[in-house]
Amino acid sequence: MRLYEHEAKRVFQRRGLPVPKQFGVIHSPEELARLELEFPLMLKALVLVGGRGKAGGIKRAENAREARAEAREIFQLRIKGYPVEAILLEEALEADAACYIGVTMDPATFNNVVLASAFGGVEIEEVARDRPEAIHKLELLENEPELPAELARGLASRLAEDLGQAASAVETLAEIISKLYALYQAIDAKVCEINPLLLTPKGPVAADAKIVLDENALFRQAKLLEELGISGRRHDVAEPTPNERRAQAAGFKYLDLLPPEAPKDPEKIYVGLVPGGAGYGIFSIDEVANIGERFFGGRVVPFNFMDSGGGPTQEQMAEMFHLLMDDPRVDLIITSRFGGISSCDIFIRGLVQALRERHAQGKRVVPVYGRMVGTDLPSARDFLERAKEETPEALKEMEIIVGNQKIMAEVIKEGLSRAFAAKGWK
Amino acid sequence: MERIPAGEGLLCHLIEQVRPDLARHIRETGEVETIVIGLGAQGTRHAGLMQEFGTKITAAVAPGRGGTRVHETIPVYDTVAECLQEHPYIAAASVWRHYATARDATIEAISAGIPFIALITEGIPLRDMRDIIVAARKNKTILIGGNSPGAIFPPERVKIGMLPDVFYPEEPSPGKLGPKGVTIISRSGAILYHLSDALAMAGIAQNGVIGIGGDAAIGSTFVDLVPLVMSHPHTDLVVIAGEIGGIQEERLAEDILAHPERYPKPIVALISGARAPEGKTMGHAGAIVAPGQEYGTFHSKKAALARAGVTVVNSQYDLIEAVKGRLRRTYFDTARYYEKMRTIWEAKPKPPSWGTLITKIEPNNILISGYPLQQLIGRKSLLEVAHLLVRGELPSPEALKELEALALEGARAPSSSGGRLGEEDLSKALARALLLDRELAAFPTKGSRGPALKTAFALGRVGKHLATILGTASALEGLPARASFTEAIYRTITGRTEFDPRWAGLLEAMAVASVDHGVTPPSAQATLILASTRAAYEVAVAAGVGAITDVHGGAGAKAAEFFKECVARARREGLELEEAAKGLIAEYIKAGRRIEGLGHRIHTQDPRRDALWRLAEEAGVAGENVAASKVVTRAFKQVRGMDLPINVDGVIGAIVADMGLDPIIAKALFIWGRVAGLSAHYFEEVASQPEMRRINFEQAVYKGPPAREVP
Repeated sequence: MRLYEHEAKRVFQRRGLPVPKQFGVIHSPEELARLELEFPLMLKALVLVGGRGKAGGIKRAENAREARAEAREIFQLRIKGYPVEAILLEEALEADAACYIGVTMDPATFNNVVLASAFGGVEIEEVARDRPEAIHKLELLENEPELPAELARGLASRLAEDLGQAASAVETLAEIISKLYALYQAIDAKVCEINPLLLTPKGPVAADAKIVLDENALFRQAKLLEELGISGRRHDVAEPTPNERRAQAAGFKYLDLLPPEAPKDPEKIYVGLVPGGAGYGIFSIDEVANIGERFFGGRVVPFNFMDSGGGPTQEQMAEMFHLLMDDPRVDLIITSRFGGISSCDIFIRGLVQALRERHAQGKRVVPVYGRMVGTDLPSARDFLERAKEETPEALKEMEIIVGNQKIMAEVIKEGLSRAFAAKGWK
Repeated sequence: MERIPAGEGLLCHLIEQVRPDLARHIRETGEVETIVIGLGAQGTRHAGLMQEFGTKITAAVAPGRGGTRVHETIPVYDTVAECLQEHPYIAAASVWRHYATARDATIEAISAGIPFIALITEGIPLRDMRDIIVAARKNKTILIGGNSPGAIFPPERVKIGMLPDVFYPEEPSPGKLGPKGVTIISRSGAILYHLSDALAMAGIAQNGVIGIGGDAAIGSTFVDLVPLVMSHPHTDLVVIAGEIGGIQEERLAEDILAHPERYPKPIVALISGARAPEGKTMGHAGAIVAPGQEYGTFHSKKAALARAGVTVVNSQYDLIEAVKGRLRRTYFDTARYYEKMRTIWEAKPKPPSWGTLITKIEPNNILISGYPLQQLIGRKSLLEVAHLLVRGELPSPEALKELEALALEGARAPSSSGGRLGEEDLSKALARALLLDRELAAFPTKGSRGPALKTAFALGRVGKHLATILGTASALEGLPARASFTEAIYRTITGRTEFDPRWAGLLEAMAVASVDHGVTPPSAQATLILASTRAAYEVAVAAGVGAITDVHGGAGAKAAEFFKECVARARREGLELEEAAKGLIAEYIKAGRRIEGLGHRIHTQDPRRDALWRLAEEAGVAGENVAASKVVTRAFKQVRGMDLPINVDGVIGAIVADMGLDPIIAKALFIWGRVAGLSAHYFEEVASQPEMRRINFEQAVYKGPPAREVP
C-alpha cells in the first residue's frame, strides 16, 4: 500500500529524516489563502503514481499570485489517468547536489537491498537501464533490523565520492542511509525511497519521499496508520471500477479486464470467470482466450479476473455469480472448483443459491458451465442432484461436471460451443 | 492401500540432500514421519485428510495443547523440541499457524533440523518471511511456501499440505506402481491441480506435485528446486508453472544457461498471465506486472525460458502435447486411470464419525485396547485394567506398585460422606460422596501419567465410600499396612477381616468384568457429556455413577434375588432347578415383572459369562444359584418361546447369591469396576475432543490397537 508524499514525509520527520518545511495540503486553489506560506515554494500533486514531474504535477512558485495560477493548473491535470484531488505545499530548497537513496527487497534473492546513486531526481529505473554502474547496491543477507554501521559508511563514502563531496559528508549520508533502512524494517515497508535527497548548505533534505507498506503487515502497523489517519486498505494503484468495488465489499478479489464504459462487440461471446484460486484465475483468462482463438475464430472475450479460492463462504460464492450475471455484457460463465482448502460443497451451494434467487426475482440468468473436483465432492454431488430435482427450472442454465471426467480446457471448449450454438453461430 | 516404499520416492531423495540420516531411517522403515504445526480449523481438518490419504502423521504441535490428542490418535506437543524428543525421526512438517505467529513456529521447525517444511500459512508479512528464509538457508531446509498448498508424492502416497485428494499413484509400467514420472512445480495451487489432473488424464505419471507458493518472497524457488528434483534418478521431466510477477522464471533461465549440467532433463514451462493488465495485483502478492519493469512480464519470462531451451506453453492442450513430445512416451493406460477416478466422483459421502481408543464392542466380543475382556477377567487386577483403559497399555511392575500405593491411600483417607440415607439407591449415595470428595478433587492430573494415577486414587476413594455405605468401614480401616488393594476390595465388600484370596480374586474379577462397555451405555454418555463441557473430574464421574440405576447396571442385584427365589422354590417343592425356574418365570410374567439378568443389546452369548462361571467353580463358590443361572435361559425359552441369553449382570448376581452376600453387592461391584471405565472416557474426551462438541454416540468408531492376546 503506497503512502501519499505528505504522509511519507510525516513518517520521515518522526524518524529524524529531514524534510522540507511543510505548509499544508490543499484540495482547491481557494484553500491557499488559509495557509501561512513562505516563498519560494513547491506545489506537488498528490497522486499515487510516478512521473508527476514530467506530467506537470510539480511546480515552483515565487509568490502568491504564481502559486494560485500553478495550483489552478495542477488541479486541471490527469496524471496517468488519475485526477489531482490534492496538492502539497512545501518550502523550495536550493541545493549543491542531489542523489538517490532507496531500500527495498531484491525480488530475486528476497534479501534487503540498499540502493544509492548520485543521479537523484530522475527515474531510477532509467538510470538502472542506461547506466547500471551508477547505482551502488548493498545487499543484506541477514534481514538485519538495523544496518551495520560499517556497511552504511561504506555505501555513503562511495556515494560521496560520486557526488564529489568532501569526506565530511560521509557521516551525514551514512546517518540518512541507516535511518532509512531502520525505518523500512520498523514500519514493514516494501519500499522506502528518497529521490532526490538534496544536499543543501544546511545539510541533506529529502525533497521527495516514497513509502510502500506491506499489506500483509498492516495488522501490526495500526499505530502508524492511526497517526496518518488511514483507516482500512487503500486500493493499490488503479481506481477501482464499480464491479471491483462491489467485490471488495463482498470480500473477494476481482478485476475487470475491460473498462466499465467499453461497449460490447455484438459479434463476440463475453465470458465471465469464477475460476477458483488466484493462479488459475490468471491462467483461465489465457485459456479462454487461447481456446477462443484456436477453435472459435477469436470471437471470445474473457471478461474478468477473480480469485474465488481460499475458502469463501456460501454467501460470497453466490455474490460472485450475481456480480457477473448483473453485468449485461456477460454471455457465459465458466467456472471451476478444484477443492483444496476450499470445499466443492460450499461452491455448489453458493451457485445454486444465486441461480434460485435470480429465478425467484425474475433476474437475468447467464448460462453457467463448469466442473468441480476435490474436497467434499461426494456431498457436493449429492446436493447438486437433489437441487436439480427440487428446482429444475431455476437450474436449467447450469451444467456442472462432477469429477475430472474431462480436463478443464475441454470443459471451456464445450461451454463455448454451447454458447455459440445458442446464438446460432458457427 | 497400494504404495511404493517411501525410500524409493522423490520425497526421500529430497530429504537425503539435507539429512542423510533421516533418509536412511526412511529406507529402513518405508515411511516418512511427518508433523502438523498449528491446529486451527484448517490444520486440524487437513491433519485428518492427510492421514486418510496415507501420510504418516506422527504428531502435532500446538502451544498450550501438549498432552492432548487430535483426531483421537495423534499426540500433541507444545513445542517442536518436545515433539522431537519423543519422535526423533520426523522428516517433514506442514505449518498451518496464523500469519501473525507463523514466523516463530516455522523458524522453530527449521532450527530443529526438520529437512522438508511446507509453509501453508497465507499472508505472512514480508519481514517475517525474510527471517524465515534466512533461517532456512542457514539450515539448508527445503522450505516450500508461504502461501503454499504443499506437496503430494503420489507413488509413496504422502501428502504434506492441503492439495485435493485426486492424485493417485500411477503405474509407470502397466499394473506396477513405481517412482518414475514427471515432477510438477507450480507457483499457484489451483494451476498445479489442473496441470497434474490434465497430465494424468493423458497418461503421464507424476512422482511429485509441488506448490511453492504465490507470495512475493518464498522459501524455495524454481532455481532451488528444479535441479534438486532432476537429480532424482526417477524424474524424467520437470514441468514448471510460472506466472507474471517476480523474477523466478528469468533466474531459472539464466541458471540453465550458466550451469547446463544441473539441468540434464527436459523442462516444459506453462506461463500464465499473457493477458494480465499492467499495474493490477492479481490475487497473488507476487503476481503483478509493475509498469515499466524489465522483468516479470509474460513476454520477459517466455523469451528468457525459450532462450534457455525450455518449451514454453500457455494452454493445457499445448502442455500435454509438449510433455508427450519431449518424453516421446506416456506411462499408463488412460482408461484404467479414468476408471480409478470414477470411483472418486461416484463415491458415497462418508458418514461422520469420531474415534475412541478405549473399548471395541463387537457381538460376543469386548476388546479393551485390543485385549479381549474375557481374557483379562481373573488374570489382571482392577488396577491393571484401569491403567489399560486410561493409557492403552498394561502397567509395568513399577507403575503397578505406584497405582497400588495411590489406590490404598485413597481407600485409607477419611470420607466425610454420610453413607446411605434410608433406602436410597446405592449409586445415588456413592455419586453424592464422590461429588463432595475433597481429596479426590484435590488430586492433581498433571503430566502424561496423571490420568492413570488419578484413576487409581479414585478407585481407592470408591472403596472408602462404599465401605461407609455398606457398613464395612471398620473392616477397611483395619487393613494391614502391607495389604494389597485386592484385600481392600475384599474387606469393603465382605466386611470380613480374615483374608480369603480365592474369594478376593473372584470379587475383583467381577469388578473387572464390569469395567467398560464402550461409549454407548448411559453412564458413559453422562460422563462424556459432562467431560465435553470440561466439568471437574469428580462431577463427570459422579454423573456417570448416578446413571447406574436398576434399569442400567443394577440388574445384578435383582437377578441375585430371582435366583435365590428359584433355589428356595426348588428346595421347598422338591423340584429340579429348571422346573422351579419355569414356574417362577411363569409367575413373573403373569405379574408383569421383568426377569433381570437376561438378554443383551449386542451379545447373544455374553463373552464375560463363561469366564466368571469358571472362576466361580475354581473358587469353590459355585452352588445352586450359579446352577440356576445356567438353566434359566432354557427355562425362559420353554415358557416364553424367546431366546434370552443370560448376561453378565445375571452371572454376577448368581455368584453373589452363592457367596451368601447381600444382593446389593452385585451392584456395588459393577459400579466399582465401571468407575475405571468412566474415568478413562473422561480423560479421553478432555484430551482428544473439542470443547462442547455435539456428541453423536452412534457415530463413535474404535480406533485403538487391533485385537491382541493378553500377556
